[in-house]
Parts: sequence; C-alpha cells; structure tokens
Amino acid sequence: MAAKRYTSMAYANADEMTFGVSKYPVKAGLGLEIGAGYTIPEINYAPRPEAGASKEKLVKEYERITTDIMERMVQVGFPAIILETEHVQQMSNNPSWGAEVAHAQKTIMEKYHDEYGIKCALRHTIGDIRENREFMQLRGDKYSVFLEAFEQCAENGADLLSVESMGGKEIFDYAVLRNDIPGMLYAIGCLGSIDMEMIWTDISKIAKKTGTVSAGDTDCSQANTAMFIGGGLLNKNLAHTIAVIARAISAPRSLVAYEAGAVGPGKDCGYENIIVKAITGMPMTMEGKTSTCAHSDVMGNLVMQCCDCWSNESVEYHGEFGGTTVQCWSETLAYDCALMNTALETKNDKVLRDLMMLSDRYRDPQAYMLAYDNAYRVGQAIVKDGDNIYLRAKNAAVECCKIVEEGAADKLELSRFETKALADAKAALEALPDDMDKFMGDCLTKYKNEVKVFKPENYGL
Amino acid sequence: MLDFTEASLKKVLTRYNVALEKAMTPEEAAEELYPKDELIYPIAKAIFEGEEDDVVEGLEAAIDAGKDPINLIDDALMVGMGVVIKLYDEGIIFLPNVMMSADAMLDGIEYCKENSGATPKTKGTVVCHVAEGDVHDIGKNIVTALLRANGFNVVDLGRDVPAEEVLDAVKKEKPIMLTGTALMTTTMYAFKEVNDKLLENGIKIPFACGGGAVNQDFVSQFALGVYGEEAADAPKIADAIIAGTTDITALRDMFHKH
Repeated sequence: MAAKRYTSMAYANADEMTFGVSKYPVKAGLGLEIGAGYTIPEINYAPRPEAGASKEKLVKEYERITTDIMERMVQVGFPAIILETEHVQQMSNNPSWGAEVAHAQKTIMEKYHDEYGIKCALRHTIGDIRENREFMQLRGDKYSVFLEAFEQCAENGADLLSVESMGGKEIFDYAVLRNDIPGMLYAIGCLGSIDMEMIWTDISKIAKKTGTVSAGDTDCSQANTAMFIGGGLLNKNLAHTIAVIARAISAPRSLVAYEAGAVGPGKDCGYENIIVKAITGMPMTMEGKTSTCAHSDVMGNLVMQCCDCWSNESVEYHGEFGGTTVQCWSETLAYDCALMNTALETKNDKVLRDLMMLSDRYRDPQAYMLAYDNAYRVGQAIVKDGDNIYLRAKNAAVECCKIVEEGAADKLELSRFETKALADAKAALEALPDDMDKFMGDCLTKYKNEVKVFKPENYGL
Repeated sequence: MLDFTEASLKKVLTRYNVALEKAMTPEEAAEELYPKDELIYPIAKAIFEGEEDDVVEGLEAAIDAGKDPINLIDDALMVGMGVVIKLYDEGIIFLPNVMMSADAMLDGIEYCKENSGATPKTKGTVVCHVAEGDVHDIGKNIVTALLRANGFNVVDLGRDVPAEEVLDAVKKEKPIMLTGTALMTTTMYAFKEVNDKLLENGIKIPFACGGGAVNQDFVSQFALGVYGEEAADAPKIADAIIAGTTDITALRDMFHKH
C-alpha cells in the first residue's frame, strides 16, 4: 500500500490545538482512550545494566518495574497510566525475550486493572536492530527479525507498537558534524522518509493482524542527536539554529508513519510531534521537564503545550529516597497530568497551555520554532507540497529559518554565532534545486564518495 | 496570545550565550594566532577554514620551497590545528569547525607522507572503541577526530567491539590510553569486562569512558576507569598521561567533576 500523503492540516488554526484532546482519539489497552479529553502519564524506564545478562534476569527486572509503577499509581489515586518498554537490544534481537517481557508486564497490569479499575496500556518500542558492525542493513535478514519482534510482542501483551528508526543516520552523523544542511535534508527528509514508509507499512499490517495499535516513530536518532549535541546555552558543539532546522526537517519524516498506517500516540522524544499533531490530528506523547532524568533540554514546559500523553523519556531502574525511580517519575508525570486534566475540566486548558508555552518561548530558537503557533506554520509549509518528500522537507527547513529570523527581530535573542549559522544555513537552502530527482542524484554521488558506510541499496536506490 | 514585555521576559530567562559572547569574531581571533612565516601562514589558515584543497596547495608550495614534508606536519598542519583547538577550547568556534579542520589536516598529513619516505612522529597511540552490542558511534567519531586533531595516533576499532578484540588491540598497539563509548545502559556494562580482561593480562592503562547513559559513578566502579563527560576531555586526559599523570586515582582527581 502506498503511503497516503497529507496535503492539508487537521486543525483549522493553531489555537484549536490543546493538550489532552486530539481529532482522532485512539482506544488502547485496558480501558484507555488516548487524546479523548484527558492527558495520560507515560512512564519509560531502562533495566539496570546487569539485568541484561539473561532472559530470566531481564523478565524479573521488568516485573519489578511494572509492579512498582502500578502500585504507586494506585497508592496516590491516579486513574490512568501507560508503560513504555524500550527494548534493550537483546529483546529485539531475540524476539522471544521481548515477548516474554511483554507477557509478564501485561499480566501484572491486568491484575491491577481487574482489582482497581485503573486504565492502562503497554507500549513496546522495538530496537532498530537493522545493522551489523560495519553497515546499516535496513533491508537484509535483520529486517525479518525486526518485524518478528513486533509481532511477538503484539501477540503477547503489547498494546502500542513503536520504534525509533534509524534510516538516514549514516549520512546525518556525517553531515551534522560539518554544518552540512543539504546532507541533513537528504538524510532525514529523503532517506529517513523512504525507510519510514517501508517499515510503517509493515508494522501497521502487524498491528491490524494482532489487534494492536500502530503508534508511531520519532526521529530520535537524528533530530535528537542534533539537540543533544547542541546541548545547553554554553555548549559549543552545534549552533542551536542548526539543531532547530534538523528538528523542522524531522517533522515530515516522522509524519510518514501516519501516512503509512500509524494512528498515534506518537512517541515521546519526537519533539517534532507538535507539528505532526497539527497536520494529522492524531494524539501525541511528548516529554520535557520530566525527562531531565535522561537529558536536559531548553523547552521543558513548552513541549507540554499540546501533549496527549506525558513522558519522562527514560530512567534507569534503581532506588531513590522516594522509592524506586519509576515510582518517583511516574508520580511526577501523573501530577502534571492531574493539573492539565483539571485545566481541561475547568475550561482553563488554553490558559495553562499558553503559560507553559510562553515560559520557554524565547529560551531558545528550538523552543521558539516549536511554540504551537510557529509549529503550525511549519506544518502548513509541509502540506503545501505534501506529495513530494524532498520539497516538503525543504519547505519545513525554509519556514523554520524564516520563523527564527522573525523571532530574532522580536524578543528571541540570538548570539552572533547563531545568527551567522542561521544565515549560512538559509543560503545553503536557497541554493538547492526544486527538482527532487536532481537533488537525490547529486546527493547520491556526493555521499557515496564521502561516507564509506553509506549503502544506497538500503533505500532501494 | 499571551506575551511578555521586554522587562517581564528578563525575569523569566537569560540567554547567557548572548550575554557573554566574546567581542572578537572567530576569524579575527584566528588571525592573531596564525604563524607569520609566509609559507606556513596559508597552510594554517586553510586548516582553520577546513579547505582541503588549499591545505594541499600550501604544502606543495612549501615543499617546492625546500621545506621537509614530515616537518611540515608539526610545523604547519599541527600549528594550524592548534589554532583551531585553542579557539574551540575558548568557546570561540564550535565542533563542526573542528571536524572540518581535522578532515583537512588528515588530508594534509596524507599528502606529506606521500611526499616523504619517513613516518611522522605522534604524541602517542590511543585505541578507541564502541562497547560490544552498541552501534551508536557518533560520540566515538568525535573523540577520534579530537584526538587526531591534538596530534595523537588513533587506532579506531569501530563499533560493537567484543572485549577480546579490544584486549588484542591493546596488546598489539601498546597505547597510552584506551577509550570506550556507549549510548545505552545495557551495553556500557561491557566496559567492566574489558577492564577485567586488561587486568587479568597485567595491563594497567587508563580506560577513558563516556557517552549517552554512561556516568561517573558507573565508570568509577572498575579499576582502570576514568570518566570523560565530554568528548573534548579525551585529548585532555591523553595529554595529562603523556605529561606524566598515569595513576588512575590522580586522573580521576583531575577529570571527575562530580
């Protein structure tokens, strides 16, 4: 099935969007309806390093994690929770491991649901294992194992299926360290989108077959790499005006999952999900101030503005003063959701949304572009040429530059360095052709020559 | 839509990078640091600008004028790279500039080697790898580029490297330091295995570890571990080692920040 491209916006205007409400709510798991008028905490965790030594140890670790979370939710009186298990590589490389973990977790969740009525769902995020030591192997033997991991988890308890896929990453890693904007566009916008269409068509088939939810992807491996390398205000590894362009380009790439059958909720670390929500109307998970256990960002409140599920990214399982980490962080997430749900119930949702957005709006160019009114504009630029994966990615990048420039003329302060990096990026974008075939051909020649680990056959090129 | 006034905004956030930006542009700062020799200057400047072709052109002119190709590595290429590293350390230029300069420097070194029968001397050898089970190698790629930019010979074992293979490489290369990077909590456990294998074989070199989920507490749990919070710490640790600090506790005192 060919992807059905978006050429229009789900929302008539930016102000129509808020948290906890989507155009197309998703029913999942044990009594949940996501994006249907309330927000839901989504806790994500990682086993302690030594737990990966055997399947038995790993299953036991996830049983502890799941029980701890469910117990804390009930103890403090929260009505709903989503658990996200991001696979460690052993669980995806050996699909039966992932399946056993899913089964063990779901058994515990069912017990709590039956006993207390707490609404819950289990997301399993399969690891993108499609590579060997030397090269990405997106379409080789590992692809079968990858799909098998989805199917086995879906058959054994997972309700929501996700992945952080890596198509284009070999080029992106090279380009981002060289301020190479066309390379980033090629990696995320073109190669990433090509790979996304293949995998999400297949994952959506598995979801349909197993009665589970094809939930969506995130450009963690590229846009988040840029954000992570960019770091804080004083870090000197990447201009934030470059990182924001990677983020803008990641939106049309992550959109492909929904064009190929996914229905949401999109995965937490997709900071681009606000743009995707504006285009699709589907529910999205987001993360920000509550993901400081995993990484810092410069928009901790702002990204909460239109979330449907609210996540902590990931935390290693271990003890803290207030309980285990998963108990502490799930409680924090759930209190945030309680506040948002109170705002929804008292019709103060748009006030709270705007307060969260404004508190970070001028903190950084990345935050500025992701403020819901500006994110909506990037969405419009994408759907304008929605049928062309290259042009829509280029449009997103160009609109992003324009938005940040306008911000800089207003109250968004940029350093001279950031201003110059933005100007250089804009010039690089202006020099690009409008013809996708020419761009793809030029990039194929250039990167085959410069990036030795680039294998065009991974993308059917 | 709600918005701030200029005054109210300042009560909520400060963009310290803007407030503290240096007055001098990177180009002006670099100009002050280039050597004045008319044959060396264009090479150093081409390194700073990351222009491979100009580096080779400058080297060609210097060799034609009688300069020794191997000496040009230290006297021109490393001098240019020194300008880049100094400005990076001072926060005047950013990592992509360093990466592009390092690419140009490596092309220049190759050109010098091709034009001389001799082998250039380096500050020492460092073996670098990504932990077994982990294929995320952008951090390792930054580490190797920064080490090379600082004049070290790097033996890059790549990603997803079994502990036994790391041991074999250390035995063969006799490095001053080993580096290990990992993104995930589950794969970083491989560092302990590498550490144990080195000790079993009587090898006690510093093992600098860093990456996404890696933290100082974890690295401090194994005897040879020295935690590097930033990729830029790798050449600094290596420099400390060649300056005489080889004791792990002393290195931890210098580089552990938390």
